[in-house]
Amino acid sequence: MTAVLEIQGLRKTYRARGGPRRALDGFEMYVEAGQVHGFLGPNGSGKTTTLRTLLGLIKPDSGEMRILGHELPRLLPEVVGKVGAIVESPQFFGHFTARDTLSLLADAGNLPQSRVDWALELVGLRERAKERVKTYSLGMKQRLAVASALLKQPKLLILDEPANGLDPGGIREMRDMMATLSAGGMTVVLSSHILGEIQLICDSVTIISLGRRVAAGPVAEVLQAHSSGQLRVALETPADLSAAAQVLVAGGFDLQAHEDYLIMSGVDKPALVARLLAERQLYVSELTPVTADLEDVFLELTGTAPVPGQVRSVDQSVRPELTPQNGVGA
Amino acid sequence: MSLVRAERRRFFKRRLTRWVFPIGVLLLVTIASILFAFHSKPTPEARARGEATAEAMYQDQVREYERYKRECGDKCNDGGWTGPQRSDFRAEHYMPPSFDFKAQYGELFLVWAAIMAMVAFLLGASFVGAEWASGSMMNLLTWRPKRMKVLGTKLTVMLLSVAGLSIVALGIWTGILWAAGELRGTTEGLTPGVWQSFGLSALRGLGMILLFAALGFGLASIGRHTGLALGAALAVVIVGQVGLTILFQMIRVPFWEQYLVPIHIFAWMNKEMKLVDYSSPEMVCDTAGNCNAPELLITWQDSGSIALGLVVVVLAVAFWQMRRRDIS
Repeated sequence: MTAVLEIQGLRKTYRARGGPRRALDGFEMYVEAGQVHGFLGPNGSGKTTTLRTLLGLIKPDSGEMRILGHELPRLLPEVVGKVGAIVESPQFFGHFTARDTLSLLADAGNLPQSRVDWALELVGLRERAKERVKTYSLGMKQRLAVASALLKQPKLLILDEPANGLDPGGIREMRDMMATLSAGGMTVVLSSHILGEIQLICDSVTIISLGRRVAAGPVAEVLQAHSSGQLRVALETPADLSAAAQVLVAGGFDLQAHEDYLIMSGVDKPALVARLLAERQLYVSELTPVTADLEDVFLELTGTAPVPGQVRSVDQSVRPELTPQNGVGA
Repeated sequence: MSLVRAERRRFFKRRLTRWVFPIGVLLLVTIASILFAFHSKPTPEARARGEATAEAMYQDQVREYERYKRECGDKCNDGGWTGPQRSDFRAEHYMPPSFDFKAQYGELFLVWAAIMAMVAFLLGASFVGAEWASGSMMNLLTWRPKRMKVLGTKLTVMLLSVAGLSIVALGIWTGILWAAGELRGTTEGLTPGVWQSFGLSALRGLGMILLFAALGFGLASIGRHTGLALGAALAVVIVGQVGLTILFQMIRVPFWEQYLVPIHIFAWMNKEMKLVDYSSPEMVCDTAGNCNAPELLITWQDSGSIALGLVVVVLAVAFWQMRRRDIS
């Protein structure tokens, strides 16, 4: 498939009072056409810097970037009309109405004014379009931001935390809208901390930690690559759990005993476990692989899982070694 | 052209534009109305009363002079003065003031220019400062990534809009003063040369207004906030003007007034400003032996060059920053 977005070896260092801070350190990212791509990372990992660099707001120290085959930032003016973006929570003039806000952007982008109503309709703001933005809730402002990004009818839509402030209904609407836009051929890059949503919406993901890519590829492959290969075993009669554990240990398996179940590691053939236990009249009621969800993978890869009794600093996450093997399926 | 259209619409939609400009015009209308109210058309009765008062005052002075001559006799030392002259006692001096459009309109350009310069500074600063502070500039740059073009268009649109508003304000100002001349004085003597002089004064006034607008724009752009421009203006007024005045007077800096902004505004609008250093211990004498305190002449070209240089430097820094700095 064609890559709509390509980033290679992107580096950016900020000068700060405490010394230089490396925001991006050889970051890589690929997004294929028509996909909804999740862009994940802990706070301060470099997500927003990446998006701002793509949009020409921040100058990188080095690296290569392309959108729709156009080299950035040199050819950004040629391709910017095909890129709709919201970066963080865009602020609008509170005394302008939503219609005015979009109408001015349409003028700035030399777009027909008819797009304004289309975009307002799409995000459900048409009825409130004549009200001043200062009267809007956070969720409504977020919808307006998405509408401003959609105004260009872009080929690539970059949304930074679009669900921020949305109510559950709004989040579902946003999810449906992403699916519809993607089905229509639009490529969507979605940065969010709502990992459940990302897992539901996205075809592929890139995970960034301290300016480097820690994982990338189709969601299913990332989950598979980082699942533990463990097996959860429960018995019809919980009282037989210790007997079952002895049988399995004697059979050469590694396991951890819990109150109601066993967790086994390194099991190639789960059927073998069932047969071994059945031969001793120990009958299995549950034999399921332990699968990781995106949140587990994210916390594991970025090293940001909370530890009881410890307070994690914002910059305290995992910096992977810079190797071509970083990520999956890239 | 689409960006120009968008910026022009944005300028006139802004709340500050819709408030500050009418407030500026209201100030001008109030001042012009006061001028209108405190002048009156000279009626034959008022002129006759003025003539009578002038004659009485003249006779009074003549009597005083003759009494003085009688008292001092040969010892009088009046420096060659031959006594009061009738021509010095004019009826106009003893009549209610009337508005002479030809004589006063030119002097009052300064009022229009000063008020509109204040308005222009605010509009220029907030037009770009509010954009930076609200994040709208960042949003706009995701649509139009050519930063120099964006800032240049904003500056051009702002200057043209301010020029338009200033001309409208001048029209209103002129209209009321013309009415004052027609109804409360005279509009006689307006030759093409007088109108040409008015035109040049208006152009200098407009130039000053635009320089203030550009200065506000540049300062707010450098600080990425309207507050920086307003803070700089406040600092110039308090530290640069009041503070320097006290300091320079204390250490007796010759011609310290030349460091004050109002002096240059006067010089610019009135073509020149002469400063006299009365505190100087040295006098300047000509070949005829007439000695006076040292003088310094500030011309409108001097003041204009300083102001233009300052604005060019501020704008150059603003554009350089726009090109170089990350937007976050």
